[in-house]
Amino acid sequence: MNSRRLTTLAALTLSLGPLMAAWTAPREVAQSTTGVDVELFEKVKPGTELDPTGRAMEQYVEPAFGFVRIPTRYSANALPLDRSTPFVLRANLKRTFAPGEYEFRLRARGAARLVVDGREIARTAPQKPNLSGNDPVPPPPPKSVGSIRPAAFPLQEQVAPVVLDSSVHEVVLTAVIGGKGLTPTPGELSVSFGLPGSTPRLLAPGAGPLLTDADWENYAELSQARHRDQDRTTRRRVGRTAVEAWNRRHAEVRTWLLTQEPTITSENPIDRYLRASLAREKTPASPRIGDLEFLRRLSLDTTGRVPTIEEIRRFLSEPAAQRRTRAIDRALQTEGWADHWVSYWQDVLAENPSILKPDLNNTGPFRWWLHQSLEDNLPFDRIAAELVLMEGSALQGGPSGFGQATLNDSPMAAKSHILSQAFLGENLGCARCHDAPSHPFLQKDLFGLASMLSGKKEVIPATSTVPFREGARRPLVKVTSKAGEAIPAAWCFKRFAEDTRFPLPELASTEKSTPADRKRLATLLVAPENRRFAEVLVNRLWKRLMGRGFVEPVDDWSLSKPVHSELLASLANRFVADGFDLKAFARLCFTSDLYQRRPISDPTGQSVPTFAGPYRRRLSAEQIVDSLFLAVGKKFDTEDLNLNPLGDRPLSQFLNLGAPCRSWEFAALSNERDRPALALPESQGMVDILSTFGWRPSRQNPASTRDEGASPMQTLILANGNVGARLVRLSDDGAFVDLALKQQPVSALCRELFLRVLSRPPSAAEAKAVAGYLAPLYAQRATPGALRSVNKRKTDSRVSWSNHLSAEASVIRLEEERRLRLGDEPTRRLRPAFRERMEDVVWALVNSPEFPLVP
Amino acid sequence: MLTTELPRRRFLHSAAGASLLSIPATARAIQETSLRLGKAESCLFLWLGGGAAHIDTFDPKRRGDGKKLAGSYYDSIPTSVPGVRVTEHMPQTARVMDRCVFVRTVSHAIVNEHAAATNLMHTGRSPSGTLQYPSIGSIVLDQKGHRSEDVPGYVVMGYPNVTRDPGFLGARYGYVYLTQIETGPNGLNRPPDVDDNRQRRREGLLGVLREDLTRRQPNDPDIRTQAAVSRQGFRMAGPRFLNVFDLKRESADLRTRYGGEFGQRCLLARRLVQSGVRFVEVSFNLNFLNGTGWDTHNDGQINQHLLIRDLDQAFATLVEDLERLKLLDTTLVVIATEFGRPPEFDSGGGRGHQSIAFTGVLAGGGLRTGRAIGATDELGAKVAERPISVPDFHATIHAAMGIDPHKNLFAGTRPVPITDNGAPIRELFG
Repeated sequence: MNSRRLTTLAALTLSLGPLMAAWTAPREVAQSTTGVDVELFEKVKPGTELDPTGRAMEQYVEPAFGFVRIPTRYSANALPLDRSTPFVLRANLKRTFAPGEYEFRLRARGAARLVVDGREIARTAPQKPNLSGNDPVPPPPPKSVGSIRPAAFPLQEQVAPVVLDSSVHEVVLTAVIGGKGLTPTPGELSVSFGLPGSTPRLLAPGAGPLLTDADWENYAELSQARHRDQDRTTRRRVGRTAVEAWNRRHAEVRTWLLTQEPTITSENPIDRYLRASLAREKTPASPRIGDLEFLRRLSLDTTGRVPTIEEIRRFLSEPAAQRRTRAIDRALQTEGWADHWVSYWQDVLAENPSILKPDLNNTGPFRWWLHQSLEDNLPFDRIAAELVLMEGSALQGGPSGFGQATLNDSPMAAKSHILSQAFLGENLGCARCHDAPSHPFLQKDLFGLASMLSGKKEVIPATSTVPFREGARRPLVKVTSKAGEAIPAAWCFKRFAEDTRFPLPELASTEKSTPADRKRLATLLVAPENRRFAEVLVNRLWKRLMGRGFVEPVDDWSLSKPVHSELLASLANRFVADGFDLKAFARLCFTSDLYQRRPISDPTGQSVPTFAGPYRRRLSAEQIVDSLFLAVGKKFDTEDLNLNPLGDRPLSQFLNLGAPCRSWEFAALSNERDRPALALPESQGMVDILSTFGWRPSRQNPASTRDEGASPMQTLILANGNVGARLVRLSDDGAFVDLALKQQPVSALCRELFLRVLSRPPSAAEAKAVAGYLAPLYAQRATPGALRSVNKRKTDSRVSWSNHLSAEASVIRLEEERRLRLGDEPTRRLRPAFRERMEDVVWALVNSPEFPLVP
Repeated sequence: MLTTELPRRRFLHSAAGASLLSIPATARAIQETSLRLGKAESCLFLWLGGGAAHIDTFDPKRRGDGKKLAGSYYDSIPTSVPGVRVTEHMPQTARVMDRCVFVRTVSHAIVNEHAAATNLMHTGRSPSGTLQYPSIGSIVLDQKGHRSEDVPGYVVMGYPNVTRDPGFLGARYGYVYLTQIETGPNGLNRPPDVDDNRQRRREGLLGVLREDLTRRQPNDPDIRTQAAVSRQGFRMAGPRFLNVFDLKRESADLRTRYGGEFGQRCLLARRLVQSGVRFVEVSFNLNFLNGTGWDTHNDGQINQHLLIRDLDQAFATLVEDLERLKLLDTTLVVIATEFGRPPEFDSGGGRGHQSIAFTGVLAGGGLRTGRAIGATDELGAKVAERPISVPDFHATIHAAMGIDPHKNLFAGTRPVPITDNGAPIRELFG
């Protein structure tokens, strides 16, 4: 069944309600031989959750009866949607067993039922929502027999004996996921089985993983990755029609544009323009950078990380004349593209989710939609339009999360401010409270946009005005609108676009509730006739890649005129003609001579840019942290960004942002209450180092640039902080222990360390110093027969909001903080004396002043 | 207010001394010269997160019964200042009252949300959403600068969060923090397995890389800056500053006098001030003493006196210790909380929240101390006379630190006054 039909059916179910419930579809599920068949049911009639009827909303296959994550549901334009509260999962498997007596083990956080051959053998009770913060910490899980993974509270466990013969048996699990006041995740829902007294295995067509910590954790990780891939496949399939519609629009736009601007050619306009302009100004171009410097720069700009050692080897093995072009082709295809670019838009669009009860200007986590849009390289007019339309799931990653601004008394005014600044370079921040003194805006302009977004007249709140006290100094600002005034919808940017011949594709909006004025705002904002939109985007991308914009600041164009305006104009034309394609624009930049030149230092940032070379950039906080973890081959391995691991509260109060793999996934840890039991010690270390390098944990307001200047605290936190210590420690979860043990001369080891961290071989002086430091202990470096050690850091998942005020919860977290200070478990495979020396070398490389500068 | 009551002669005198008498500057000049700003050099900001009950601490009233009859939970005692009483669990504070000011009518409107009220008490403003306002610590650091190049300017003992952040002032006005004294600040203490010798070897290797870099690219200003900042960082992590965290360098007697974990934090705060730190926030977040910390709903009330006694001991010792070291006049000590609590008891015998009247405390800092400002009604439920807004409270702290609270900070090009029309409490100055 194709997904279009699924969606249509879903809509039908919604509108027909009771009629549909009576109509039961024939079950025509083909039995899978490779896995467990899973069906998801939504809007099941209360009281009949464990007997869902009707057609399943979704069908898929899991390798075993272990449920870690549920597939995301997507709209026809590929936006993530919410499932009903609750929804029901039914999993089914037919297989044979060796005849005998077994124990079946059901584990579930909420209501579930396990049926074998039509007979119920186990059942668990519904989970109750919790409103307390004063509960005691639940007792540790009962000591289980052998190596079985303990069933930690609130997981319920039922074990049932079942005698099976040699025929085919059918096992059906039905489980309720989420519900009012609960988190809509499966927890560790599972069915396992085994002979009495043995370690059970997850039920699967063949031999499933053992129900031990090691096997479960491995299974869970693979399951997360499999679902991520599956989600991507699903949304690309579901969204194909929308993609085609946007492609048609862009073909028409291109045809139209060529009639307007016939000079658009395929030649790279950057070098053509700059050759002339540098000659005119008699400025010599900056020299070309070396190959490895180029690769490091390119890799940082595409993947957000330094190149891997494999990429460096491959690059060096290619013919010199082609290696840069080939590297560009590969870099634009790597997975890291979205991971790198998403954080810029998180800043610009003030993405600001809170993991603990929404506070000021918290948004939904629309990071996930931003990331998928960049991953799919959606055209940027589509991304901007979808952002404005604010559809999809608010709390599970859709652009409607952008529409939230909690505790803000005019969220749509806040969003209008963000959108104008992000996409039109117009700053209406002042107009929130008064007519803008240095910008051409009245307060009613901002609220007119806000009314377009909300579809009703927005009222200027009492706080959004300038208090004027009798006898006090007269304010310097003018106020022509009054608090309490309702402002009608109006588009104040007529000078950029008054109308357009290009309406949005129909599939751009799939929700009936989206107001017409909001659609009009989206349409005018991204209209191809709106040159400002294209120019602002081009200027933003240019500054990110070349270090300086044609217009500064990039988010407020009213303060200055563009320099090199001719180049800006032709790049904007090219961007529109290419269908607002970010990667195509990036390629244009990467292949230019300009990008491949030595950087120019301009510490004041005040000179008129010549672009004789790109301007010097520093690595962003995310680039620094992600690069260092990549270089040493370690994973972040932090706890989930979640203060409600028991799952007994709703997403609207406690988001779970998961365990980050890349830095952009972190968020403010929101411990305004200053309570030890609300700390997430491992994530805190990451947040600390990221913030020290300029990352913003909380994004109450939009920002296009960060304070990224060098500070002594940056040196310190990298040299001495918890995360710095983890990076440097030679432990068996990193890449450097195997590297140290490899049979090779010490000089080769030294060269590889430099390549991995600094993307270059050592100089003669460096090689001599480092090899000299390691050589005396190198021959005897290994401890024969020693085994890999495992990190013992563990987060106690019993600590949750419901018990965070208890003394025990505080003690548990404080102890975890102390343990963290000891760092990763050092490897036993290297002799301590050599290990320490090699750690010292890694430390020196990581802390080199060269590292934070883009070559 | 302040500006209108300025003696005309003083204004003329000081204005003549100033060279900026253009017309638009006049209004500003009036405001600026009207304040005789204080001379405090450092500020210790003691934070009672959760909302400390003013009527059980600094503003005692008729005794209630913990059930139906509203009122204080304890008896009250006199202090060294006639007419000012405190709860019976604060005998030491009573002794040092002459060096304190109780601001008993701090008042604001955020009553339900801890995080929002905490933000207000740290930034002095209701958030606007178009800007992230800086915390008071960041503002003080921005205005007064570092007291020493080799130590951080702003230290927090508590958990990092947005209310303590530098906001639009930028990361360089941020803080170093620690959550436990024994582990020290993240990023300043060396990891436990790196002793002096090993650190020297490490820095030796780093020196080779650094020199090689500057040799290869001698004229690159960014590399020069990066190398210089790196050297400054290691100076900061040097023994001079890290020894500050070693409380064993104080006499056993003094350490005992400071009391429990909060007291030890206060002792460390004093040592930080001595070493040249500008602003220290010390959080009293030891919830496990009574189960709820200062957020004494329900049975959190039963052991609230344990928190109060800890606070009493630590605060009074801190004041006397600063005085002994002749630092009290240049060090402003502040006790702040996000709101107070009502005189009535909830069904579990504890108290809800009350933001329209509660107490903030100032001590030392060269202020004219030994008084209570404002008064609440019979049961401490409302302001009876002289409300003090949060901006006023902040303006008083800034003025004590020698900072003009009307001055503008700049968020990009946008001027943002340090306080939102706050007026310092005038009788504490001059």
